Amino acid sequence: MIIALPLAILWIGAVCLALLDGTRKPVGWTAVTLLAAATVATVVLGVDVYQDGTRAVTAGGWMPGIGITFRIDVLSIVFAVLSQFVLLAALAFEVSQGVRARVLPALTMFMATGLTGLFFTGDAFNFYVFFEISMISAYIMTGYGENPRQFRAAFTFTAVNLLGSVFFLIGIAALYHNTGWLDMDRIGQQMPLVAENPAILSATIIFVAFSIKLGLFPFHFWLPAVYTGTRGAVAAMLSGGLANIGTYGIMRFGADIFPRELEEGSKVLLLLGSCSIIYGAMQALSRHTPNEVLAYSSIGQVGYILVAIAIGGPVGFAAAILYAVVNSLNKTLLFLSASVRGLLVGAAFAVGAFSVAGVPPVGGFIGKLALFRASVNDDDAWLTALLFVGGALSFIYMFQLYRRRYWIPENGESSPLAAQVVVAIVAIAIIAVGIWPQPLIELSDRAALVIPGVLP
Amino acid sequence: MILLFSIAVAVLFATGSYLMLKHDLIRLLVGMVLIGNAANLFIMAAGLSRGGVPIYPLGNRTSDPLVQSMTLTAIVISFAVSALVLALTFRLYGSHASMNLEEIAQAEEEQSEIDDEVAMASEASS
Repeated sequence: MIIALPLAILWIGAVCLALLDGTRKPVGWTAVTLLAAATVATVVLGVDVYQDGTRAVTAGGWMPGIGITFRIDVLSIVFAVLSQFVLLAALAFEVSQGVRARVLPALTMFMATGLTGLFFTGDAFNFYVFFEISMISAYIMTGYGENPRQFRAAFTFTAVNLLGSVFFLIGIAALYHNTGWLDMDRIGQQMPLVAENPAILSATIIFVAFSIKLGLFPFHFWLPAVYTGTRGAVAAMLSGGLANIGTYGIMRFGADIFPRELEEGSKVLLLLGSCSIIYGAMQALSRHTPNEVLAYSSIGQVGYILVAIAIGGPVGFAAAILYAVVNSLNKTLLFLSASVRGLLVGAAFAVGAFSVAGVPPVGGFIGKLALFRASVNDDDAWLTALLFVGGALSFIYMFQLYRRRYWIPENGESSPLAAQVVVAIVAIAIIAVGIWPQPLIELSDRAALVIPGVLP
Repeated sequence: MILLFSIAVAVLFATGSYLMLKHDLIRLLVGMVLIGNAANLFIMAAGLSRGGVPIYPLGNRTSDPLVQSMTLTAIVISFAVSALVLALTFRLYGSHASMNLEEIAQAEEEQSEIDDEVAMASEASS
């Protein structure tokens, strides 16, 4: 019962809200409340999972393996709570400023439904369905604002990511053909028996699908246009919430289903990740508008996550999870604060800038530290040097941006206080992670151990 | 049969990709739909088997219901997405008065130049 509770709140709430006019304040705040309730339910479920281990339930009373299974472990919980929190912050931010489109609150709930569902599910095809639920709401939300700019962004986003979804679907069909199962655990058990070439092909096509969502280096071409075109709150949802699909997907599919292929392809992953880091940082350095710098910065930041996954092992995976959490919070904070003005916002932006650069005492430092630990553990001097150079470059471009934006006299009015408070809360969360990192580190260590391929 | 299926999937996918590289919005849309259908056919090809109706099995062999239900779900999703993309295309046409992707890309470029100038100007004034 309790397993389905977060999903039920989100899904039923989304359908009901879709009928109401979201531009009205009460409707918007109802959506925020429901999203908060779902987050609390997920946290309660998470405490349960953390103490008693993985929980699983099969829908409709079918045999496990035949029916659609929901399998919830610490990794799912970490990503579910993270994404819900990001969506909650972005929605509260937008509602406090006044929503302009009637569907926005409902779509945010649908996106949360899709994300939570795909983190919870243990069935490959069900994963695709939830994936599409969140993607379709994202396609519509990118057009939010309804200027020519937003329509262009939405069209680019839809065209490219639709292709990614089709790739993923083909990958799932290939997996079903090769193993005869859709349940992810069973597929994982069958995979060692599958011949090498089909296995590599399916692994590659699924990796490409997730990389498109993540905006990794050779698949990033859509990302700058979309992140600069959409409004701040939506950009925060896309980069802080939706991009988690890519991280989670690569980890879940990589470790559960393709551990052998992940091992074989780790050099490629390392190369792509490094290219992402350098390319993102270089491009961000040469850009002027805040959203553009942030867009290229997020291409660079996912490079770090991929490098950590490529290092592999419990240390690498824990670092990847930790970095993904911190990065999502950073991007949410920066995209939100770049679109408002005011006293609290300047300070919050500085926190985000410090966090991206990896300066203590904010959260980004913990993420960078975990990465350094993983790379030193791997005995790879080049990698450690690369991480250092990437960090230094991100310090430069973030503070270029800060100087350009906040070291000039403010003209124009400051934004509503409620919006500023939301931004400040996210900033405080990042500082809290930096000052008291123990819970998050323990959580990511545990989440990394849940993946069977990582067990020592 | 396998060869036939793979040729059909390949032709659908290739035609779709070719259309997606065109500058016309409607062609791009048709390309997306074709690629989606290539995926649907691929699912069918990946697991279609002969046999009785799965919901009421009379003989001892039934066909695999899973591929059929998967394809059905995928068709429904791609139907909804096509409708959505069509609506988006319409709004794009409404706001740019053009169906040509190059003209729309040019509008994007002009916008980013304006943004850059604004950013540079605010920097210079400080």
